[in-house]
Amino acid sequence: MYEERFDKRRFDELRKIEAETGVVPNAAGSARFKIGNTEAIAAVYGPEEVKPRHLEHADKATIVCKYDMMPFSVPDRAKPGIDRRDMEISEVITSALNRAIFVEDLPKSMISVYVYVTQADAGTRCASLTAASMACADAGLPMRDLVAAVAVGKVGDSIVLDLTKEEEDYEGGTTDIPIAFLQSKGEIVLLQLDGNISREDLKKAIELGRKGAQEIYEIEKNALKRRFL
Amino acid sequence: MIFNQSYTIVTPGELLADSGRGLNGTYTEDKKIFSKYFGNVIVNGDNISVVPISGIYVPQEGDDVIGRVAEVNDTYWVVDIDAPYFAKLSIMEANTRGRVEDISTLMDIDDILYARVYHVSQDKSLSLTFRGGRYGKLPPRMIVKINPVKTGRVIGKEGSMIKMIKEYTNCEILVGSNGVIWLNGDEAGMAAASSAIKLIDKEYYSQGLTEKVKNLLEYVRGKV
Repeated sequence: MYEERFDKRRFDELRKIEAETGVVPNAAGSARFKIGNTEAIAAVYGPEEVKPRHLEHADKATIVCKYDMMPFSVPDRAKPGIDRRDMEISEVITSALNRAIFVEDLPKSMISVYVYVTQADAGTRCASLTAASMACADAGLPMRDLVAAVAVGKVGDSIVLDLTKEEEDYEGGTTDIPIAFLQSKGEIVLLQLDGNISREDLKKAIELGRKGAQEIYEIEKNALKRRFL
Repeated sequence: MIFNQSYTIVTPGELLADSGRGLNGTYTEDKKIFSKYFGNVIVNGDNISVVPISGIYVPQEGDDVIGRVAEVNDTYWVVDIDAPYFAKLSIMEANTRGRVEDISTLMDIDDILYARVYHVSQDKSLSLTFRGGRYGKLPPRMIVKINPVKTGRVIGKEGSMIKMIKEYTNCEILVGSNGVIWLNGDEAGMAAASSAIKLIDKEYYSQGLTEKVKNLLEYVRGKV
Protein backbone atom coordinates (compact mmCIF):
# COMPACT_ATOMS: atom_id res chain seq x y z
CA MET A 1 0.00 0.00 0.00
CA TYR A 2 1.16 3.47 -0.86
CA GLU A 3 -0.34 5.65 1.86
CA GLU A 4 2.05 8.53 2.23
CA ARG A 5 4.02 10.05 -0.62
CA PHE A 6 7.81 10.07 -0.52
CA ASP A 7 7.93 13.86 -0.43
CA LYS A 8 4.99 14.19 2.03
CA ARG A 9 2.69 15.86 -0.49
CA ARG A 10 -1.05 15.26 -0.57
CA PHE A 11 -2.18 12.92 -3.32
CA ASP A 12 -3.72 15.79 -5.28
CA GLU A 13 -0.95 18.31 -4.71
CA LEU A 14 1.43 19.62 -7.37
CA ARG A 15 5.11 20.19 -6.81
CA LYS A 16 6.41 23.75 -6.51
CA ILE A 17 6.13 25.56 -9.84
CA GLU A 18 8.18 28.38 -11.34
CA ALA A 19 7.39 29.88 -14.71
CA GLU A 20 8.73 32.82 -16.66
CA THR A 21 8.87 34.03 -20.25
CA GLY A 22 11.41 35.90 -22.36
CA VAL A 23 14.41 33.87 -21.23
CA VAL A 24 16.01 33.51 -24.68
CA PRO A 25 16.57 37.00 -26.14
CA ASN A 26 17.24 35.89 -29.72
CA ALA A 27 14.09 33.80 -30.05
CA ALA A 28 10.72 35.16 -31.14
CA GLY A 29 9.29 33.74 -27.94
CA SER A 30 10.67 31.72 -25.07
CA ALA A 31 9.73 30.32 -21.70
CA ARG A 32 11.09 28.41 -18.74
CA PHE A 33 8.87 26.07 -16.76
CA LYS A 34 9.99 24.34 -13.60
CA ILE A 35 7.93 21.89 -11.61
CA GLY A 36 9.68 20.36 -8.63
CA ASN A 37 13.09 19.27 -9.89
CA THR A 38 12.01 19.07 -13.53
CA GLU A 39 12.91 22.07 -15.63
CA ALA A 40 12.38 22.76 -19.32
CA ILE A 41 13.37 25.72 -21.48
CA ALA A 42 11.52 26.33 -24.74
CA ALA A 43 12.33 28.70 -27.59
CA VAL A 44 10.15 29.43 -30.61
CA TYR A 45 11.41 30.83 -33.92
CA GLY A 46 9.27 31.94 -36.81
CA PRO A 47 6.87 31.85 -38.58
CA GLU A 48 9.43 31.84 -41.36
CA GLU A 49 10.06 30.33 -44.76
CA VAL A 50 9.74 26.53 -44.78
CA LYS A 51 13.03 24.69 -45.02
CA PRO A 52 13.38 21.94 -46.21
CA ARG A 53 10.82 22.77 -48.86
CA HIS A 54 9.08 19.38 -48.93
CA LEU A 55 7.63 19.96 -45.45
CA GLU A 56 5.56 22.87 -46.75
CA HIS A 57 1.76 22.70 -46.62
CA ALA A 58 -0.18 24.98 -48.94
CA ASP A 59 -3.03 25.42 -46.44
CA LYS A 60 -1.40 25.44 -43.01
CA ALA A 61 1.76 26.12 -41.07
CA THR A 62 4.34 23.41 -40.43
CA ILE A 63 5.39 22.96 -36.81
CA VAL A 64 8.81 21.43 -36.29
CA CYS A 65 9.66 20.51 -32.73
CA LYS A 66 12.91 19.33 -31.24
CA TYR A 67 12.95 17.95 -27.71
CA ASP A 68 16.27 17.07 -26.16
CA MET A 69 17.59 16.20 -22.72
CA MET A 70 20.77 17.95 -21.69
CA PRO A 71 23.63 15.52 -20.88
CA PHE A 72 23.67 16.67 -17.25
CA SER A 73 19.89 16.52 -16.72
CA VAL A 74 19.84 12.95 -15.36
CA PRO A 75 22.08 11.07 -12.87
CA ASP A 76 23.63 8.95 -15.65
CA ARG A 77 24.87 11.11 -18.50
CA ALA A 78 22.30 11.37 -21.27
CA LYS A 79 23.90 10.96 -24.68
CA PRO A 80 23.50 14.21 -26.60
CA GLY A 81 21.42 14.12 -29.74
CA ILE A 82 18.02 12.79 -30.67
CA ASP A 83 17.32 9.21 -29.66
CA ARG A 84 14.16 7.13 -30.00
CA ARG A 85 12.52 8.61 -26.91
CA ASP A 86 13.31 12.21 -27.90
CA MET A 87 11.75 11.57 -31.30
CA GLU A 88 8.55 10.27 -29.74
CA ILE A 89 8.22 13.21 -27.37
CA SER A 90 8.96 15.71 -30.16
CA GLU A 91 6.15 14.07 -32.10
CA VAL A 92 3.56 14.25 -29.29
CA ILE A 93 4.46 17.88 -28.56
CA THR A 94 4.06 18.72 -32.25
CA SER A 95 0.64 17.10 -32.47
CA ALA A 96 -0.55 18.86 -29.30
CA LEU A 97 0.68 22.24 -30.57
CA ASN A 98 -0.96 21.60 -33.94
CA ARG A 99 -4.30 21.68 -32.16
CA ALA A 100 -3.42 24.61 -29.89
CA ILE A 101 -2.12 26.91 -32.64
CA PHE A 102 -4.29 28.16 -35.50
CA VAL A 103 -2.01 26.60 -38.13
CA GLU A 104 -4.48 27.42 -40.90
CA ASP A 105 -3.88 31.15 -40.28
CA LEU A 106 -0.25 30.89 -41.36
CA PRO A 107 -0.13 28.87 -44.58
CA LYS A 108 3.23 28.04 -46.17
CA SER A 109 5.24 28.95 -43.11
CA MET A 110 7.27 27.09 -40.52
CA ILE A 111 7.28 27.40 -36.75
CA SER A 112 10.33 25.91 -35.07
CA VAL A 113 10.03 24.90 -31.43
CA TYR A 114 13.10 23.88 -29.48
CA VAL A 115 12.69 22.40 -26.02
CA TYR A 116 15.61 21.50 -23.79
CA VAL A 117 15.30 19.71 -20.47
CA THR A 118 17.94 20.96 -18.07
CA GLN A 119 16.82 18.90 -15.07
CA ALA A 120 14.76 15.75 -15.20
CA ASP A 121 12.75 14.28 -12.33
CA ALA A 122 9.77 12.67 -14.14
CA GLY A 123 7.13 14.55 -16.10
CA THR A 124 9.53 16.07 -18.61
CA ARG A 125 7.15 15.79 -21.54
CA CYS A 126 4.45 17.64 -19.61
CA ALA A 127 6.86 20.37 -18.51
CA SER A 128 8.21 20.63 -22.06
CA LEU A 129 4.77 20.95 -23.61
CA THR A 130 3.70 23.57 -21.07
CA ALA A 131 6.89 25.57 -21.68
CA ALA A 132 6.47 25.24 -25.46
CA SER A 133 2.91 26.55 -25.38
CA MET A 134 3.95 29.53 -23.23
CA ALA A 135 6.78 30.27 -25.66
CA CYS A 136 4.35 30.14 -28.59
CA ALA A 137 2.03 32.62 -26.88
CA ASP A 138 5.04 34.84 -26.14
CA ALA A 139 6.00 34.71 -29.82
CA GLY A 140 2.61 36.19 -30.71
CA LEU A 141 1.25 33.18 -32.57
CA PRO A 142 -2.53 32.86 -33.00
CA MET A 143 -3.60 30.21 -30.51
CA ARG A 144 -6.79 28.49 -29.45
CA ASP A 145 -5.61 28.21 -25.86
CA LEU A 146 -2.54 27.67 -23.74
CA VAL A 147 -1.69 24.02 -23.14
CA ALA A 148 -1.51 22.90 -19.53
CA ALA A 149 0.04 19.46 -19.11
CA VAL A 150 0.47 17.35 -16.01
CA ALA A 151 1.23 13.73 -15.21
CA VAL A 152 -1.14 11.65 -13.14
CA GLY A 153 -0.72 8.06 -12.18
CA LYS A 154 -1.47 5.12 -10.02
CA VAL A 155 1.19 4.34 -7.48
CA GLY A 156 0.37 1.12 -5.62
CA ASP A 157 -3.40 1.51 -5.10
CA SER A 158 -3.52 5.30 -4.93
CA ILE A 159 -4.20 7.74 -7.72
CA VAL A 160 -1.72 10.58 -7.44
CA LEU A 161 -1.01 13.85 -9.20
CA ASP A 162 2.38 14.91 -10.55
CA LEU A 163 4.64 11.92 -10.04
CA THR A 164 8.32 12.15 -9.18
CA LYS A 165 10.99 9.77 -10.46
CA GLU A 166 10.99 8.04 -7.07
CA GLU A 167 7.28 7.28 -7.42
CA GLU A 168 7.65 6.13 -11.01
CA ASP A 169 10.14 3.53 -9.81
CA TYR A 170 7.95 2.37 -6.86
CA GLU A 171 8.29 -1.38 -6.55
CA GLY A 172 4.53 -1.90 -5.92
CA GLY A 173 3.85 -1.01 -9.56
CA THR A 174 3.20 2.36 -11.14
CA THR A 175 1.02 3.57 -13.97
CA ASP A 176 2.15 6.85 -15.53
CA ILE A 177 -0.38 8.92 -17.50
CA PRO A 178 0.74 12.26 -18.94
CA ILE A 179 -2.25 14.40 -19.95
CA ALA A 180 -2.44 17.80 -21.60
CA PHE A 181 -5.52 20.00 -21.71
CA LEU A 182 -6.75 23.03 -23.56
CA GLN A 183 -8.17 24.21 -20.28
CA SER A 184 -10.82 26.71 -21.32
CA LYS A 185 -12.24 24.22 -23.87
CA GLY A 186 -11.82 21.10 -21.75
CA GLU A 187 -10.14 19.40 -24.71
CA ILE A 188 -7.45 16.77 -24.24
CA VAL A 189 -4.54 17.18 -26.65
CA LEU A 190 -2.20 14.55 -25.23
CA LEU A 191 -2.87 11.35 -23.34
CA GLN A 192 -0.42 8.53 -22.99
CA LEU A 193 -0.54 5.57 -20.67
CA ASP A 194 2.25 3.36 -19.45
CA GLY A 195 1.19 0.49 -17.17
CA ASN A 196 -2.09 -1.11 -16.10
CA ILE A 197 -5.20 0.72 -14.91
CA SER A 198 -8.94 -0.03 -14.74
CA ARG A 199 -11.51 2.02 -16.62
CA GLU A 200 -12.91 3.64 -13.44
CA ASP A 201 -9.47 4.54 -12.15
CA LEU A 202 -8.53 6.11 -15.49
CA LYS A 203 -11.61 8.34 -15.34
CA LYS A 204 -10.71 9.38 -11.81
CA ALA A 205 -7.13 10.02 -12.87
CA ILE A 206 -8.21 12.26 -15.77
CA GLU A 207 -10.47 14.28 -13.47
CA LEU A 208 -7.59 14.68 -11.03
CA GLY A 209 -5.37 15.78 -13.92
CA ARG A 210 -7.93 18.35 -15.00
CA LYS A 211 -7.83 19.89 -11.52
CA GLY A 212 -4.03 20.00 -11.52
CA ALA A 213 -3.95 21.44 -15.03
CA GLN A 214 -6.23 24.29 -13.94
CA GLU A 215 -3.62 25.36 -11.36
CA ILE A 216 -0.86 25.17 -13.96
CA TYR A 217 -2.99 27.14 -16.43
CA GLU A 218 -3.38 29.99 -13.93
CA ILE A 219 0.37 30.03 -13.29
CA GLU A 220 1.07 30.13 -17.05
CA LYS A 221 -1.27 33.08 -17.53
CA ASN A 222 0.32 34.98 -14.65
CA ALA A 223 3.82 34.29 -15.93
CA LEU A 224 2.95 35.71 -19.34
CA LYS A 225 1.20 38.79 -18.00
CA ARG A 226 3.73 39.56 -15.28
CA ARG A 227 6.30 40.97 -17.70
CA PHE A 228 3.91 43.63 -18.94
CA LEU A 229 2.36 44.91 -15.73
CA MET B 1 -21.72 40.80 -21.95
CA ILE B 2 -18.10 41.92 -22.34
CA PHE B 3 -15.84 40.85 -19.47
CA ASN B 4 -12.75 42.95 -20.15
CA GLN B 5 -12.07 46.65 -20.36
CA SER B 6 -9.91 48.22 -23.03
CA TYR B 7 -6.15 47.78 -22.63
CA THR B 8 -6.26 44.84 -20.25
CA ILE B 9 -3.77 42.14 -21.16
CA VAL B 10 -5.20 38.75 -22.10
CA THR B 11 -3.66 35.40 -22.98
CA PRO B 12 -4.80 33.14 -25.83
CA GLY B 13 -7.99 31.24 -25.02
CA GLU B 14 -9.23 33.75 -22.49
CA LEU B 15 -12.99 34.32 -22.60
CA LEU B 16 -13.66 37.91 -23.66
CA ALA B 17 -17.41 38.12 -24.11
CA ASP B 18 -20.52 36.00 -24.55
CA SER B 19 -22.23 38.53 -26.81
CA GLY B 20 -21.17 41.26 -29.17
CA ARG B 21 -18.95 41.03 -32.21
CA GLY B 22 -15.45 39.60 -32.27
CA LEU B 23 -13.11 41.31 -34.72
CA ASN B 24 -9.37 40.94 -35.37
CA GLY B 25 -7.47 38.78 -32.93
CA THR B 26 -10.48 36.89 -31.63
CA TYR B 27 -12.31 33.70 -32.50
CA THR B 28 -15.81 32.52 -31.75
CA GLU B 29 -16.94 29.14 -30.48
CA ASP B 30 -20.54 28.47 -29.38
CA LYS B 31 -21.26 32.23 -29.66
CA LYS B 32 -18.57 32.94 -27.08
CA ILE B 33 -15.68 35.19 -28.02
CA PHE B 34 -12.16 34.11 -27.08
CA SER B 35 -8.82 35.82 -27.49
CA LYS B 36 -6.52 34.49 -30.18
CA TYR B 37 -3.35 36.31 -29.14
CA PHE B 38 -1.38 37.32 -26.11
CA GLY B 39 -2.17 41.00 -26.28
CA ASN B 40 -4.27 44.01 -25.39
CA VAL B 41 -8.05 44.05 -25.58
CA ILE B 42 -9.66 46.92 -27.49
CA VAL B 43 -13.37 47.40 -26.76
CA ASN B 44 -15.34 49.74 -28.97
CA GLY B 45 -19.05 49.59 -28.21
CA ASP B 46 -20.13 46.07 -29.15
CA ASN B 47 -16.97 45.34 -31.10
CA ILE B 48 -14.10 43.62 -29.41
CA SER B 49 -10.61 42.97 -30.77
CA VAL B 50 -7.17 41.94 -29.52
CA VAL B 51 -3.89 43.55 -30.59
CA PRO B 52 -0.94 41.19 -30.06
CA ILE B 53 1.95 42.35 -27.85
CA SER B 54 4.59 40.59 -29.89
CA GLY B 55 4.63 38.76 -33.17
CA ILE B 56 5.71 38.74 -36.75
CA TYR B 57 4.67 40.92 -39.60
CA VAL B 58 1.69 39.56 -41.51
CA PRO B 59 1.49 41.46 -44.79
CA GLN B 60 -1.72 43.25 -45.66
CA GLU B 61 -2.72 45.09 -48.77
CA GLY B 62 -1.83 48.76 -48.62
CA ASP B 63 1.11 48.45 -46.23
CA ASP B 64 4.25 50.46 -46.86
CA VAL B 65 7.26 48.23 -46.35
CA ILE B 66 11.04 48.45 -46.52
CA GLY B 67 12.67 45.41 -48.07
CA ARG B 68 15.90 44.04 -49.38
CA VAL B 69 16.36 42.52 -52.83
CA ALA B 70 17.05 38.82 -52.39
CA GLU B 71 16.97 37.62 -55.97
CA VAL B 72 16.96 39.15 -59.44
CA ASN B 73 15.08 37.48 -62.26
CA ASP B 74 14.47 38.43 -65.89
CA THR B 75 11.31 40.43 -65.26
CA TYR B 76 10.97 40.76 -61.50
CA TRP B 77 12.82 41.06 -58.21
CA VAL B 78 12.25 38.84 -55.20
CA VAL B 79 12.20 40.99 -52.09
CA ASP B 80 12.76 39.97 -48.49
CA ILE B 81 10.38 42.03 -46.34
CA ASP B 82 10.88 40.23 -42.99
CA ALA B 83 7.61 38.34 -43.34
CA PRO B 84 7.18 34.56 -43.54
CA TYR B 85 6.87 34.95 -47.31
CA PHE B 86 8.96 36.63 -49.97
CA ALA B 87 7.42 39.39 -52.08
CA LYS B 88 7.62 39.97 -55.79
CA LEU B 89 8.26 43.32 -57.44
CA SER B 90 7.57 43.12 -61.13
CA ILE B 91 9.36 45.37 -63.62
CA MET B 92 5.93 46.65 -64.67
CA GLU B 93 5.37 48.01 -61.17
CA ALA B 94 8.74 49.76 -60.88
CA ASN B 95 8.91 53.24 -62.34
CA THR B 96 10.96 52.66 -65.42
CA ARG B 97 10.79 54.22 -68.82
CA GLY B 98 11.54 52.25 -71.92
CA ARG B 99 12.91 48.81 -72.33
CA VAL B 100 15.57 47.49 -69.97
CA GLU B 101 17.90 44.73 -71.09
CA ASP B 102 19.22 43.74 -67.65
CA ILE B 103 17.13 44.69 -64.64
CA SER B 104 20.01 44.19 -62.24
CA THR B 105 21.33 47.54 -63.48
CA LEU B 106 18.31 49.16 -61.82
CA MET B 107 18.40 47.23 -58.55
CA ASP B 108 20.75 44.46 -57.58
CA ILE B 109 20.87 41.95 -54.75
CA ASP B 110 21.05 43.57 -51.28
CA ASP B 111 19.67 46.91 -52.43
CA ILE B 112 17.15 48.47 -50.07
CA LEU B 113 13.78 49.60 -51.37
CA TYR B 114 10.60 51.22 -50.14
CA ALA B 115 7.41 49.89 -51.69
CA ARG B 116 3.74 49.25 -51.15
CA VAL B 117 2.09 45.85 -50.85
CA TYR B 118 -0.66 46.08 -53.46
CA HIS B 119 -1.87 42.52 -53.57
CA VAL B 120 -1.92 39.56 -51.19
CA SER B 121 -3.30 36.48 -52.90
CA GLN B 122 -5.10 33.54 -51.37
CA ASP B 123 -1.95 31.43 -51.27
CA LYS B 124 -0.05 34.30 -49.64
CA SER B 125 2.04 35.33 -52.59
CA LEU B 126 2.79 39.03 -52.30
CA SER B 127 3.11 41.69 -54.95
CA LEU B 128 4.82 45.03 -54.41
CA THR B 129 4.54 48.24 -56.36
CA PHE B 130 6.44 51.52 -56.74
CA ARG B 131 3.39 53.38 -58.06
CA GLY B 132 2.46 56.35 -55.93
CA GLY B 133 5.34 58.79 -55.93
CA ARG B 134 7.06 58.31 -52.60
CA TYR B 135 8.35 54.79 -53.26
CA GLY B 136 11.60 53.64 -54.80
CA LYS B 137 15.12 52.44 -54.22
CA LEU B 138 16.77 53.79 -51.06
CA PRO B 139 20.43 54.70 -50.73
CA PRO B 140 22.24 52.44 -48.23
CA ARG B 141 22.03 54.15 -44.85
CA MET B 142 21.27 52.94 -41.35
CA ILE B 143 18.60 50.25 -40.88
CA VAL B 144 16.98 49.53 -37.51
CA LYS B 145 14.70 46.56 -37.04
CA ILE B 146 12.03 46.48 -34.34
CA ASN B 147 9.09 44.26 -33.58
CA PRO B 148 6.44 45.11 -36.21
CA VAL B 149 3.59 45.40 -33.70
CA LYS B 150 5.46 48.34 -32.15
CA THR B 151 5.69 50.51 -35.26
CA GLY B 152 2.52 52.29 -34.18
CA ARG B 153 4.27 53.47 -31.04
CA VAL B 154 7.33 54.71 -32.98
CA ILE B 155 5.05 56.86 -35.11
CA GLY B 156 2.93 57.97 -32.17
CA LYS B 157 -0.40 59.72 -32.10
CA GLU B 158 -0.73 61.61 -35.39
CA GLY B 159 2.99 61.18 -35.94
CA SER B 160 3.99 63.02 -32.75
CA MET B 161 6.77 60.65 -31.71
CA ILE B 162 8.45 60.37 -35.08
CA LYS B 163 8.17 64.13 -35.56
CA MET B 164 9.96 64.69 -32.26
CA ILE B 165 12.79 62.29 -33.16
CA LYS B 166 13.20 63.95 -36.55
CA GLU B 167 13.31 67.39 -34.98
CA TYR B 168 15.96 66.54 -32.41
CA THR B 169 18.23 64.46 -34.64
CA ASN B 170 17.82 66.14 -38.05
CA CYS B 171 17.28 62.74 -39.61
CA GLU B 172 15.11 61.57 -42.41
CA ILE B 173 13.16 58.55 -41.12
CA LEU B 174 11.06 56.02 -42.99
CA VAL B 175 9.05 53.51 -41.00
CA GLY B 176 7.92 50.35 -42.75
CA SER B 177 4.89 48.46 -41.46
CA ASN B 178 7.12 45.39 -41.32
CA GLY B 179 9.21 46.87 -38.50
CA VAL B 180 12.15 47.94 -40.64
CA ILE B 181 13.14 51.58 -40.13
CA TRP B 182 15.46 53.43 -42.48
CA LEU B 183 17.42 56.43 -41.18
CA ASN B 184 19.26 59.07 -43.15
CA GLY B 185 21.25 61.90 -41.59
CA ASP B 186 24.71 62.57 -40.23
CA GLU B 187 26.31 59.89 -38.09
CA ALA B 188 25.62 61.34 -34.65
CA GLY B 189 22.01 62.00 -35.59
CA MET B 190 21.46 58.48 -36.86
CA ALA B 191 23.03 57.00 -33.73
CA ALA B 192 20.77 59.13 -31.52
CA ALA B 193 17.66 58.29 -33.51
CA SER B 194 18.42 54.57 -33.47
CA SER B 195 18.94 54.55 -29.71
CA ALA B 196 15.64 56.39 -29.29
CA ILE B 197 13.90 53.80 -31.47
CA LYS B 198 15.49 50.96 -29.54
CA LEU B 199 14.25 52.50 -26.30
CA ILE B 200 10.72 52.53 -27.71
CA ASP B 201 11.13 48.90 -28.79
CA LYS B 202 12.23 47.93 -25.29
CA GLU B 203 9.74 49.90 -23.21
CA TYR B 204 6.81 50.39 -25.51
CA TYR B 205 4.22 49.23 -23.01
CA SER B 206 5.32 51.61 -20.24
CA GLN B 207 3.55 54.80 -19.32
CA GLY B 208 5.06 58.18 -20.13
CA LEU B 209 7.21 56.87 -22.96
CA THR B 210 7.25 60.19 -24.76
CA GLU B 211 8.91 61.82 -21.74
CA LYS B 212 11.59 59.13 -21.60
CA VAL B 213 12.40 59.49 -25.28
CA LYS B 214 12.50 63.25 -24.88
CA ASN B 215 14.96 62.96 -21.99
CA LEU B 216 17.17 60.73 -24.09
CA LEU B 217 17.08 63.10 -27.02
CA GLU B 218 17.80 66.21 -24.91
CA TYR B 219 21.45 65.12 -24.83
CA VAL B 220 21.86 65.55 -28.55
CA ARG B 221 20.10 68.90 -28.85
CA GLY B 222 22.35 71.29 -30.72
CA LYS B 223 25.02 68.65 -31.33
CA VAL B 224 23.70 67.38 -34.63
